[in-house]
Amino acid sequence: MNQTNTAVRGSGGKILNKDLRRQIVDMVVAGNNGHIPSAFSIVDIVSYLYGHVLSVDPRNPEWDKRDFFVLSKGHGCLALYVNLHRYGFITDEDVAQFCRKGGILGEHPDFNKVPGAEASSGSLGHGFSYAVGIALGHRIKGAKNRIFVLVGDGESHEGTVWEAAHVARNLELGQLCVVVDWNQSGMQLLPHDDLPAKWKAFGWNTLVIDGHDDADFKTAFDSVRFESKGIPTVIIAKTVKGKGVPMLEGHGMWHHRIPNAGEYAIIMEALS
Amino acid sequence: MSEKQVRQQFADTMLAVGQEDPDLVVMVGDISHGVLQPFAKACPGRYYNAGILEPTMMSMGAGLARTGLYPVIHTIAPFLIERAFEQIKLDFCYHKLHGNIVTVGSAFDYAYLGCTHHCYGDFALLKTLEGVQITYPSTPVEFDTLFRQAYRNSALTVYRVPGSQHGVEFTGKEIQFGKGIKVADGRDVTLIATGPQLKSALGAREVLAGRGCDAEVLYIHTIRPLDEELVLASVSKTGHVVVIEEHMRSGGLGDDVLRATRSLAGVKFASASIPDAFVRTYGSYEDHCEMLGLCPRGVAALVQSEFAR
Repeated sequence: MNQTNTAVRGSGGKILNKDLRRQIVDMVVAGNNGHIPSAFSIVDIVSYLYGHVLSVDPRNPEWDKRDFFVLSKGHGCLALYVNLHRYGFITDEDVAQFCRKGGILGEHPDFNKVPGAEASSGSLGHGFSYAVGIALGHRIKGAKNRIFVLVGDGESHEGTVWEAAHVARNLELGQLCVVVDWNQSGMQLLPHDDLPAKWKAFGWNTLVIDGHDDADFKTAFDSVRFESKGIPTVIIAKTVKGKGVPMLEGHGMWHHRIPNAGEYAIIMEALS
Repeated sequence: MSEKQVRQQFADTMLAVGQEDPDLVVMVGDISHGVLQPFAKACPGRYYNAGILEPTMMSMGAGLARTGLYPVIHTIAPFLIERAFEQIKLDFCYHKLHGNIVTVGSAFDYAYLGCTHHCYGDFALLKTLEGVQITYPSTPVEFDTLFRQAYRNSALTVYRVPGSQHGVEFTGKEIQFGKGIKVADGRDVTLIATGPQLKSALGAREVLAGRGCDAEVLYIHTIRPLDEELVLASVSKTGHVVVIEEHMRSGGLGDDVLRATRSLAGVKFASASIPDAFVRTYGSYEDHCEMLGLCPRGVAALVQSEFAR
């Protein structure tokens, strides 16, 4: 925790959520579309949130007491879909229809189609500001709902991310928790990018964790106070794009590539 | 003409409606902060001067709507409609969320400030978005009436608040969202005006009457949905139509009138509007109206040059 230069080690050296990773790959192959490495980068975070943090009800996705999870980096949506499927928001048939005519699941989430999806994200730099409005709205109404938003580090090139950080801090939206998927995509283009220093400069309660480690998730999320008026928290999760399959890890051709039969076998072997 | 500015009426309406409706929330981008203080005091916790960050303010408005509140987002037109266009498009419109955008400084109302503070393509931009309602309330009564009629419906509604007025005091009963008003009967040509340009249309009607040309005048305060029935009834009678608007020629009310009247054979059309080019000059609002022919004499001259009337 809080060690900017700590290497991403994973949860005790183990790869978490292999089943969800395999499902992501199967969906991409069946749908012939999708961003596997971006989803692998965040699937452990999203899985921990749905499994241990979020108070949501798949039988009533619009439950007015629920926690909100806004996936701002919409191209990571496969990580959201497999968790919505695991917890019963969407069906086997929905998953089978990924990117198909008539299906509800596309390469970016659509909140008017997908139960449990809180935003139609995809254009980077929107979801955080939208989540700030959701947090403010709940405070105005005297509601205690907690608001989580996941943004990418590449997405953090967008100026609106910092507009939102600025205004949320000044409005003291303490019930808001941002998670940054710090897989260093952004640093490929703009290498001078000390995200923890930036968030601290904006006055946020800033935590840095291993984004593939359940113990770090527990420590970080348990520490957030979620006060209706207080300093908001950002959890900067150090992640690996494509985490779990060496062939997919890093920044390269796999960003939006569909595995062929041979590659599929290698990936599944790594995730067995 | 009302002594009260339409912008002041905006503030007064927020105060009145805000005291009746606990779901009304007003967020501004450091504009009209002073005139909205009565609302801020009367409705604590529902007024935000968010800062100079229009795209985020727009997304925040959509987030407020997501929680069931009725947001009013307000600042200068180019920064809301042009800079934050994608936020309007995706966060409000694609999400199918309700809300209200109140702009000042549309067209060349801030004439002296130059291009950065002009916004005369707003109708065109907004009309590309599914479900957006566009109004142009140009007297205090029009603003108060249209806002109360539309602010709580299921759509995103834009209120283009002008810096000047047309001088006709319609009553609240005469104002109906989505319905135009026939201001004067005529048989030879239809003058369709929106915003303060109703003043030019009525002035031109007098000039034309001196030439023996009898002009019918329609006033449109709701750009979308357009009262096509009123337009069709008038133009099918006169066969000649001039649309007068402080908007670019492309994508303005004129284009909608052309589309609405496409089934009529032989209709002659002319547009008194802003050419599809930047307004690069300084001077007053009135100077610009004169330069662009958005004045009684200019409209009358257009009728003569285009229709030989």
